[in-house]
Amino acid sequence: MGRIFRDIAIGILAIAVLAAVPHLIPGKAFQDFVIRCSSMALFATSLNLLVGYTGLSSFGHGLFFGLGTYSFALLMQRTGISLPMAFIATLLINAVTAVAVGAICIRLRLIYFAFVTLAMQMLMHSIIISWVGLTGGDQGLQGGIPRRVVAGIDLGNQYNLYIFAAVVLVIGLLIMRHIVNTSFGTSLRMIRDNEARASFLGIVVWRVKLTVFVLSAVFASVGGIVMSLFVSGAYPELINWPISGDAIFAIVMGGVGSFLGPTVGTMILLLLNDVVTRQTEYYGLALGIIILAFALGLRRGLLDFITERLGGRPAGGIS
Amino acid sequence: MKPTEPTRRTVLTGAAAVLAAPHIAGAQAKAVRIGMQATFSGPLAQSGITHRNAIEMEVDRINAAGGLAGRPIEMVYRDSKSQPQEAARVARELVNSDGCEMLLDAESSAGSFAVQEVVRDLGVLCIHSSSETSSLTADPKYRVASAFRSSRQGIHDAIVGGAYAAKVADARKLTKWATCSPDYAYGRDTTAQYLEYLKHFKPDIEVISQAWPKLGQPDFTEVITKLIQARPQAMYTALYGGDLTAFINQGNIYALFSAMQVFSVNLADYTALTAIKNLPPGIATGNRYVVTCPDTVANRDWGEAYRKRFNEYPTNWSWQSSTGMRFYEGAAKKAGSADPKKLAEALRGLTIECPFGVDGTVTMRAEDQTVVGYAIGWGTTLTKPPYVADVKPADWGTIFELETEWKKRNGFI
Repeated sequence: MGRIFRDIAIGILAIAVLAAVPHLIPGKAFQDFVIRCSSMALFATSLNLLVGYTGLSSFGHGLFFGLGTYSFALLMQRTGISLPMAFIATLLINAVTAVAVGAICIRLRLIYFAFVTLAMQMLMHSIIISWVGLTGGDQGLQGGIPRRVVAGIDLGNQYNLYIFAAVVLVIGLLIMRHIVNTSFGTSLRMIRDNEARASFLGIVVWRVKLTVFVLSAVFASVGGIVMSLFVSGAYPELINWPISGDAIFAIVMGGVGSFLGPTVGTMILLLLNDVVTRQTEYYGLALGIIILAFALGLRRGLLDFITERLGGRPAGGIS
Repeated sequence: MKPTEPTRRTVLTGAAAVLAAPHIAGAQAKAVRIGMQATFSGPLAQSGITHRNAIEMEVDRINAAGGLAGRPIEMVYRDSKSQPQEAARVARELVNSDGCEMLLDAESSAGSFAVQEVVRDLGVLCIHSSSETSSLTADPKYRVASAFRSSRQGIHDAIVGGAYAAKVADARKLTKWATCSPDYAYGRDTTAQYLEYLKHFKPDIEVISQAWPKLGQPDFTEVITKLIQARPQAMYTALYGGDLTAFINQGNIYALFSAMQVFSVNLADYTALTAIKNLPPGIATGNRYVVTCPDTVANRDWGEAYRKRFNEYPTNWSWQSSTGMRFYEGAAKKAGSADPKKLAEALRGLTIECPFGVDGTVTMRAEDQTVVGYAIGWGTTLTKPPYVADVKPADWGTIFELETEWKKRNGFI
């Protein structure tokens, strides 16, 4: 119990600090950064539930991020429901989709799992591109997101959206942290380390895998909702396969074994993007070199590297 | 007499004056920062580069003449990597962090809509100089008071293309038609709209075959043989860029272009014209940018000046961003100020002199804040420079009439 209270206290402190920062630093770039960071960090951490904790390398996790942006934006544009209702409905849509996709994928192993999840994402991308009447096709969902007011707070205002994104990020991370610290989380690690042994110990492997697949899809869609609010719409690039690659890069750079690794990785990735894009048009080349440095130099993510240097063992407990 | 030693106060005052001098000079003519996000990397990098080239030419010219109402222009360029979410981020960054007072957006389709939402949120002045999607300005749902457009539009191209094709079809009795366009929303919509206007002007045509190659398809053999076997008298294609050059290069092998009259809406851009190995003569093409449309001294001079400076001819993107810059220039002259609010006011209904206008001028139509009166026409290809000749300029009276009808039909007005 103590651990939960400690985590919650850290979360509240983080929100308080973030809420104060814009009053100290003028300029809105930091707020934009945190909003995007919140979206991508939720997405990357949700993927790490599969990759780091369960040993399921999904290459198509962007499906749920993108589906989150599209279902939320469409619900806000096409129906009269309020933002919180659209938020919950988006999570439900993603959960149902994840059950269907997961039921097909989770029985597959290793590279087959990776490729079928990728295929599922590309299928969804094709549907979105082709269903022009609903999604706007390759032009994206245009016209903005209406009614961004929750309990009298207008999320169209940048500072409000910034606080909203920070709160959603902290709550999302707290829940995911709680999940990996429960006995369910232990089952995930057992499956990752030795699936046969977990099965002999009475764990119904497929059920645990499907549950974590659905949970991670739901958290990815929360990231999608934040992105949808940031861009005020939804675009096919947000559900195309490179977005899954971004989440994988974030995990690789931040550290697969540390709970906050993907969040740190997201910060590195976004900082690199923002700084490098300002300096050069060879962003891909710069990013590639830096990832190589991580892979060959540190041979693990930054947070894993630091944790090990300090003599600890990454919280994910990679054995 | 002992020379007076400078006191500490004198030194400090002097130093302060020296340090402050540039700031005072700067305050007299504070630069107007204009932000442009575009694609500078990846397969579409040429779009950003040729946008930027044209802007550099205009900025040099405008600054030499005193800038925008006495304030020099300073451009800030950012790469959006063809991603709408990056376009939105970068546009916000340009305004929020880089101090840009206005934007010249160079995003195509999805990216321009992402930027449009940023413009809506921030209320910043913006001219879209790349998106050809008509609904961006035509549909009141998407319209924003501070957003304008200096680029051509799909609906104008469809009307002009249909009218020109109907004339050629009448003269040469071309009734059996085929189409070959990329298999996604742009290709299908553009083709449907073109055929609609072709049938409007010449109701007795018949479409006997339609091919939809995939975007980036390397081998067109199947498509080409299908088209030849259908034996149409004419064919329309909305292919563009690398797909169009591959299609023409491969079509040459099968003598496709002597078997039927081909109408290609996107061929007359130097990037495509110069990339084709043996450009077949006689292909009808819409003008993207060629120095022969409009066939005026001003346009030729501009095209040549660009070629001299950048060692290549300008593109469709170039004239569009050049026009955007000229609109800012004209608005600043009219308003006597570079204040974005005053510029927006001045832009509505503004007519400026412009080398790309069909009569030497273009107008920012007040009702939907989009450019009209630009040179738009169809000509036929030659094997050698200037590559496109006999360009028939379109009649803007017909365009306005049919465009209004189209807007009414879609509930835009």
